This record gives sequence, C-alpha cells and structure tokens, in this order.
Amino acid sequence: MANDKALGVDGDLLVILRHGPHGTSWLREGLDAALVAAAFGRRVTLLFMGEGVTALVPGQKSGPLGQKGTSPTLEMLEMYDIDTLLVETEALALFGLRADGLMLSAREVEAAELDELASTHSLVLTF
Amino acid sequence: MMRYAILLMGAPYSSQAAHSALRFARAVAERGHRLEGVFFYHDGVHNAARLAAPPQDEPHLVDGWTALAADHGVPLQICIAAALRRGLLDEREAARHGKQGYSVAPPFELTGLGQLVDLGLRCDRLVTFGP
Amino acid sequence: MLLHILNRSPATSEVYRQALAAMGPDDRLLLIEDGVQGALGALVDRFAALEGRLYAQEEDLVARGLEPLCDPSVALIDVEGFLTLTEEAQKTVSWF
Repeated sequence: MANDKALGVDGDLLVILRHGPHGTSWLREGLDAALVAAAFGRRVTLLFMGEGVTALVPGQKSGPLGQKGTSPTLEMLEMYDIDTLLVETEALALFGLRADGLMLSAREVEAAELDELASTHSLVLTF
Repeated sequence: MMRYAILLMGAPYSSQAAHSALRFARAVAERGHRLEGVFFYHDGVHNAARLAAPPQDEPHLVDGWTALAADHGVPLQICIAAALRRGLLDEREAARHGKQGYSVAPPFELTGLGQLVDLGLRCDRLVTFGP
Repeated sequence: MLLHILNRSPATSEVYRQALAAMGPDDRLLLIEDGVQGALGALVDRFAALEGRLYAQEEDLVARGLEPLCDPSVALIDVEGFLTLTEEAQKTVSWF
C-alpha cells in the first residue's frame, strides 16, 4: 500500500494496546492477535497507547503465583518480524517515561498522528 | 451486499456488549449483507457456555446466537486459547484434556486466532464490541 | 472516513479522549451503551470539536431514561442507522 503521509507507516493490521501487564489479559491477548497475524505473513504495527506504554517498562517480573506477564512475549516480537513499534508521546509523559528508556526500541507518535495510522492499515484492533 | 464480521470481547450479562453485538448481527443479516462470522475473544468466549441458564424473563444469549447461526448460516468462532483457559471446552477438547463433561457445543466452534485475522482482512467491515 | 464507536461514559472513563485523539477531521463518532451519557447536554461539550459528526444510539438513551436530557446537536440513530454508518465508513474502530 503506497502512502504519501507524514508518518509513512502502513500495514495490514494495526493493534492498539491500551493496557499494562499483569492487571488484565488485554495486553497479552492483544499481543497474541498480533503474533498470529505476523505468523500468517501479515504486516503488523503495534501502537502502545495510554496505559499501554507501561508494557514497555524495563525490569518486569513474573507475578507471585508464576503469572508470566508479557515481557517475554514482547522480547519475541522481532522473531516474528514485528518491528514497527509505536508509542504515544503524551502517554510517555503521563507516566514519566522516556522512549530511550524502554525495554524495546519504539518510535514516538503524537496523538494527532493517530488518525493517519488508523487510515493506513486495513484493519484496526483495539485491546 | 457487503461482507461483515463481528468481534465480541465482552462476557454475556456482565456488560451490554453481547446484547449490542447480537442486535447488530441480526441487523446486518436482515439487510442482506453476508455476515461471514462472529469471532468471540477475551471474555467474549463465555457467550459459548452451553450450560448458561438465565432466568426465563431475560434474553437468552446462547439461544440468540444459536438462532442467528441457524437462520443466516453465520459461523460462531471461539478463540480456542482464550476458551480453554476459561474452562470452555467442546467434546473433543474435553476428552483431550481428560475432563468429564463439556461446555461448548455446536454451532459454536473452537478455532484459532488466525481466523480472526482472516475474517478481519477478508471482510469489508469488522465491527468490534468490547465490554 | 472512519466510524469510531465509544461505549464508555465520559463521566467515568478517559477512553473518550483516546477516541477523539485517534479521529481524523472527517471521521464520525457513535456513542452506544454507557457512551450515550456523552450525548447529554451537561456532558456533550467533551465532543464539541466534532461539529455534526456525533451520533448516539437512541435505544440506549431511551432504556436509560436519558433521551429527554440529550443535547439537540447529537444525531440520534437506531440500529439500522448504526448499520448504515458502518456501511458509509471505510472501517470502524471501537473504543471501550
């Protein structure tokens, strides 16, 4: 899909992750959808939005009952050729995080650029 | 005529999502569009619980989905990974896991997440109902 | 043009901000379920930027007894109208 817009990011599937690890299964189940799409050869973009940016905080651990959390899954993204990782700039600021201090390299996008992302992907799934 | 898919991620009776999704699904089918599938993910997999026994004066969602499948030939696809974790197993999976009884029956079918991706990219529209 | 669907009340959830942030200049927003609280005169200013692109599902307002409090700037639709909005949009994005 050609596109001449500012961000220059397009793909088959945009997965918007809006929840942090451990508290709910949204993040894990959103990542699972992304991994499966990538395994089927689809081009996947991940957008960490709102609370979702906390998924990328370094130093996450398993829970006391052995809950795995999501950081092991995130570390596998590259293996699945999911290399377009975006983080919402405003959300980083909200949590006092910096893009260069995250566990994976991710590109910052402004909230105002989100509408472009929604239109340059064939399918948008929110989790 | 357009091809539609629905993604439902809310548990029945806990949120309005399942009611909204079922109502929308009927509207899609009745307008003559092709509803190529309803995919149940996250807590939406609970909509497939065959043992659900709501009071008689409440809408029966399992019966509602079953009627939708019967009337319009709509596949009802449950994410198997999300379902097994939550105790939703069809006869085959129950046997495979050595469980007595089973909690999912046709027309609901356990399937992989790949089906969701396929539905979403194949159809003209995918409409998500979350909790 | 995309259709965004919001089912959370702006009085209790910040999710509406995510929906607004993701919306393009021609996109439409449909309020359903508890989202219809955003159509009330007292709350509708959250969506002031949408100017004529804000819709609410009437049956969800009626069920909650909120229809008389709905702001006249909001377009009320039934499930048929919901379906038509999805037909007219290139795709839909749900916020919950």
